[in-house]
Amino acid sequence: MVLILIIPLVTAFICYMLKSAKLVGYVSLAGAVALASVALPVIMSAISTPTEMMNGVLYMDALSGYIMALVIFLSLASAVYSIEYLEHEMKVGLTGARGVRRYYALFHLFIFTMLLVTTANNLALMWIAIEATTIVSALLIGLGFSKRSLAIEAAWKYIILCTVGITFALLGIFITYYATTAVMGGQGALNWTTIRSIAPKLNPSTMKLAFIFILVGYGTKAGLAPVHNWLPDAHSEAPSPISALLSGILLNTAFYGIMRFVTITDPSTGSVFTGNLLILFGLISMGISSVFILVQVNYKRLLAYSSIEHMGIISLGIGIGGPVGVYGALLHILNHALSKPLMFFVSGRIQAHYGSTKIENVGGVLSSMPLMGTLTFIGVLSLAGTPPFNIFISEFTVLQAAVLKGLWVVAGLFLLFAAFVFYGMLSGFGRMLFRGKETPKVEENEKGSNRDVASGFSVSMSSAFNKGIMILLASLIVVFGFTVPGFIDSTIRICIDILGVK
Amino acid sequence: MKNWIQAFSVIDFISAGILVTAVSINTFKRIEPCVKAYTLNSWLLSALTAVAAFMTGEVHLYAASVVTFLSKGILIPMFLRRIVRRIKATHDVEPYISNALSLTISGILVVVVYAALKEGIFVTGLSKNVLQISIAVIFIGLFIMITRRKAIIQVIGLLFMENGLFLAGFALTFGMPLIMELGVLFDMLMGVIILGIFVIQIKKSFASSDLDKLTILKG
Repeated sequence: MVLILIIPLVTAFICYMLKSAKLVGYVSLAGAVALASVALPVIMSAISTPTEMMNGVLYMDALSGYIMALVIFLSLASAVYSIEYLEHEMKVGLTGARGVRRYYALFHLFIFTMLLVTTANNLALMWIAIEATTIVSALLIGLGFSKRSLAIEAAWKYIILCTVGITFALLGIFITYYATTAVMGGQGALNWTTIRSIAPKLNPSTMKLAFIFILVGYGTKAGLAPVHNWLPDAHSEAPSPISALLSGILLNTAFYGIMRFVTITDPSTGSVFTGNLLILFGLISMGISSVFILVQVNYKRLLAYSSIEHMGIISLGIGIGGPVGVYGALLHILNHALSKPLMFFVSGRIQAHYGSTKIENVGGVLSSMPLMGTLTFIGVLSLAGTPPFNIFISEFTVLQAAVLKGLWVVAGLFLLFAAFVFYGMLSGFGRMLFRGKETPKVEENEKGSNRDVASGFSVSMSSAFNKGIMILLASLIVVFGFTVPGFIDSTIRICIDILGVK
Repeated sequence: MKNWIQAFSVIDFISAGILVTAVSINTFKRIEPCVKAYTLNSWLLSALTAVAAFMTGEVHLYAASVVTFLSKGILIPMFLRRIVRRIKATHDVEPYISNALSLTISGILVVVVYAALKEGIFVTGLSKNVLQISIAVIFIGLFIMITRRKAIIQVIGLLFMENGLFLAGFALTFGMPLIMELGVLFDMLMGVIILGIFVIQIKKSFASSDLDKLTILKG
């Protein structure tokens, strides 16, 4: 387990030290592959038998294994995609060899911090790791290859909002620690496994207060409305492979923190309290994001608001609870982590081709970039929740849970917002895909004359990698629309047990 | 000595000092005194930890006191001063509201926190004032962050929030295990350094450290 944490650190160090900008992308890919091959057996064994390490500071069970597998899969996909993305950015002159080295070093540090979140058993260590993800990813956003000042603005908002939010989460952890000292006497406990074993004895009103602080704190990081303001800026200004990581998995690691907390809050306060709060925040997120999706003119921001909507659905699923609701939420985490990165990858190439992130400046993607157009079409249908794609299944499961519990108002609002999102996503991307062909416009940046380079990616090994990973994601989206593979199904069922849902 | 500390309620005295240094931020027109107020605030926080360590005889509190003094009392203020010099923003803080109003609102915040925590669910080892003051300091820090225009003042507001947070943790449970506290401090140190870098970047690319200019991204 420790080796999993060491590999990204070593890779980051090597990437920073390496002189050749051409080689560094492949070194980073090798690091990601090594990480995946080491992690796979560990995750497999953790799913069946929970393991502890270092006096219980690190801990892995099926839930952390599930999230960790997503982190590793997406970091691999993103490392593959990054190679050509950065080659292109360098050719256009938006970054130099130094920027590339920095990018890869931070990229692997970012992965390290997210892996630390999933393996931390100690609540304070988990907080430290989540705050570290903020710091590292703020630097990645601030790299801002396309427009420096916008990237700095986005990074500033991101780091300030998330740090303030997460400060409240730390207060929540202090309060939890206080609650455990009352039960255990003298020295309190911070380890999740210990707290869970004494959870029913904790003072309910103290735990309620702690949970509110945690929900506000980690909720800011997970992009739940109304504290989501950083998210559209950060996701639209970050380099595309980083947007994919932020949206696909960073939000989920923060939400993972909330899920761990729900399991130690529920036994003392009862699941109605946490459930209602999560449903409330979930519906607010869906509502606010659906309105912004309807009026959005920038396709990367459109995708960012779609992330808020999907985090709302996940929160809703956990909040509604019961095996069906939690199953839907966990499946939705996986499905969203497949579809959203694909869309960010594709939009990175569309941006490179048309030189703009405005929907009005992009037209006829399907005819000018047939492969990208097809992938965009699959991705957007999936994100909008259209059958027979993956997200439809998980959204339907969450809806089913609401109906089973007789929460008709929740189900009705869910359908209303989902309809808004459906229209907004399809009309936005539909215009980009099908509207008459337009000549690519090169972005109005200072480095003006790069029309010939910006008009397309070159054909090379990195380009084949790049297309391959997008096709892989798209085919997974299609496959998961028809069936949930057996091993994923059984893992989610174990996770439901861990979350203590009956 | 221990009786002496209790008889003169040294703990209350120091925590009152922490509150006063936090409130005083509202009155300053320049940035340098704000940094000084933060330094003083951190020194008092460290002193409070030391006094509590002396009273309870816990070794890890002594260590926490020293670490707080070194990081928040010396390192971060030095770093802040360097940034203030780099961006040459020694002058106006430029609040959105007048200093008098801002001071009044801070006062109201303190009263509200005291009233709200009057019959709390918490039983603290220390004087009850410490918890109330800590929550008040957190809110004052947040209030400063949302009413000031300069990027560097937002960082200082955030630092005050964190000092309040440490005080709260200290009031509730005499702090977390030392190793975790060190981790949290390290995170905060890194956060401040990176915020500092961004302050300089903002100054460079917007030719101003006013956050009013950061309004291109919306909707």
